[in-house]
Amino acid sequence: MIRVVLVDDHALFRAGVRGELGGGIEVAGEAGTVAEAIETVRELDPDVVLLDVHLPDGGGEGVIAGVAPERPGVKFLALSVSDAPEDVIRVIRAGARGYVTKTISSEELTDAVMRVAGGDAVFSPRLAGFVLDAFREGARVGDDAELEALTPREREVLQLIARGYRYKEIAARLHLSVKTVEAHVSSVLRKLQLSSRHELARWAHDRRLV
Amino acid sequence: MTQIPVLRFERSETDRVIAGVCGGIAASLRVDPTLVRLVFAMLALAGGAGILLYLALWAWTGGRRPWVAVVILVLATMALLGALGVSALVVVGGGLIVAGLVLLGRRGATFRPGGASLSWPGIVLAVAGAVVLLSHVGPSRMILAPGALAGALALVLVPWIWQLSAERRERIRLEERSEIATRIHDSVLQTLALVQRDASDPARVRTLARRQERELRRWLYGSGYGSAQTFADALAEAAVDVEEAQGVQIELATSGDAPLDERLAQVVLAAREAMTNAAKHAQVDEIAVYAELEPERVGVFVRDRGVGFQRSAVPPDRHGLAQSIEARMQRAGGSATIVSTPGEGTEVELTMARESP
Repeated sequence: MIRVVLVDDHALFRAGVRGELGGGIEVAGEAGTVAEAIETVRELDPDVVLLDVHLPDGGGEGVIAGVAPERPGVKFLALSVSDAPEDVIRVIRAGARGYVTKTISSEELTDAVMRVAGGDAVFSPRLAGFVLDAFREGARVGDDAELEALTPREREVLQLIARGYRYKEIAARLHLSVKTVEAHVSSVLRKLQLSSRHELARWAHDRRLV
Repeated sequence: MTQIPVLRFERSETDRVIAGVCGGIAASLRVDPTLVRLVFAMLALAGGAGILLYLALWAWTGGRRPWVAVVILVLATMALLGALGVSALVVVGGGLIVAGLVLLGRRGATFRPGGASLSWPGIVLAVAGAVVLLSHVGPSRMILAPGALAGALALVLVPWIWQLSAERRERIRLEERSEIATRIHDSVLQTLALVQRDASDPARVRTLARRQERELRRWLYGSGYGSAQTFADALAEAAVDVEEAQGVQIELATSGDAPLDERLAQVVLAAREAMTNAAKHAQVDEIAVYAELEPERVGVFVRDRGVGFQRSAVPPDRHGLAQSIEARMQRAGGSATIVSTPGEGTEVELTMARESP
């Protein structure tokens, strides 16, 4: 049984998700603010936290920052309506394992929670678009050259995710195994979180974030 | 509107002696290339005008050097007129008149009443040119030899230009009509169909009517499509419109953006029609749309997991697919690819090359 904490400031939405999550998932607790969420997650130590990008007292990344040092095993999946790319990328860079939009179907949400709990990354089409956008400039040379750009294969996988293909369909189309597709997505996630590339900084700046 | 039809030719890749300029002209005028080459050779004897003209056309078709082309063209004209025995001042006067007329033409001035506003610099240039010309020439001398030649040329060229412009007007008229038909199909006819379907629901009919009115006003009186300033915004707007009108969910992902121009607006309209098609025919409630804007190309993918179809089974008169998507993309200089498998869904891919900045 996978234990989940829901963090969202709309009680109605939390109730909806609680009802939608399929078998194998137990909603252990709920929270509506950053402060509440940190407390709840520390106390319950769930497997996965479904985390809204925007909360009344701050962004979702505040929850991750407040919890991760003490509970490194907790995985975060960002869940939100339609946010500015920089907000989503910020939560991912803070440590979330993926991002899905609230319009996601129940089965797909259940599947996403399972996958995040298992250590995989979950990219919605929109996140794939954001990431392609953030990494759009060509490769840079430097110490972290490997982290600074996507490989052609990773780009291909992300483009297909953005176009609405599922992992299985991507695997079939690119003649890869599903495991390999997952590995590519995880690698992109790692680059997204570890890269110090100025592209990301500039990208955020272009959107008047910094 | 400002482009002269004669200049709409590409250098020929296959039929070339030097750079393919003559071959290109011959192909676009549908005449024998040898004839064109002969004309250039004879002009070359007239003070080298043919050579300069060739260089000017070469520069013009190169694309990024219109000013080089114009300068060489002016030199060519001067060389030609010099060879015909016309003095420098006459050339200057004539040049001023031509420049003035070009300025007037670019402003879209016409001789019809109610035409666009006139360009004052253009008028001043043209009048100054006429003054220079008349004060220098006087009525008598220059009319004889060059005048005879000019008269002969006019006899040949005027009917030809007349016919060319008539053809062009007709083509523009047809294009405009096709554009309007497509636009009306995309919006008004779709809304009317929805109104008929939902006739029992007054609130919904009102919403539909109001949105259609807003849209029609925007098109008739506003600045093109929607109020969005960038490609991604316009696409998002289109997605919301389709979601509202068709009751589907559209998952939109974009990478890259640029200010909306006329060609990108056409891509948005085609994408919108693809979304509408998917919403109406695929029998799904979710559609995935991904748009990728690179400096050199733009791609939009509209995908559904619906019933799919076989292209051969779609009647050719179904307007949406052929006109609103494929023909529209072609008019904008792009293309549309539709991949559909019955039972598995459809993906429409719209691509268009963008001019390098």
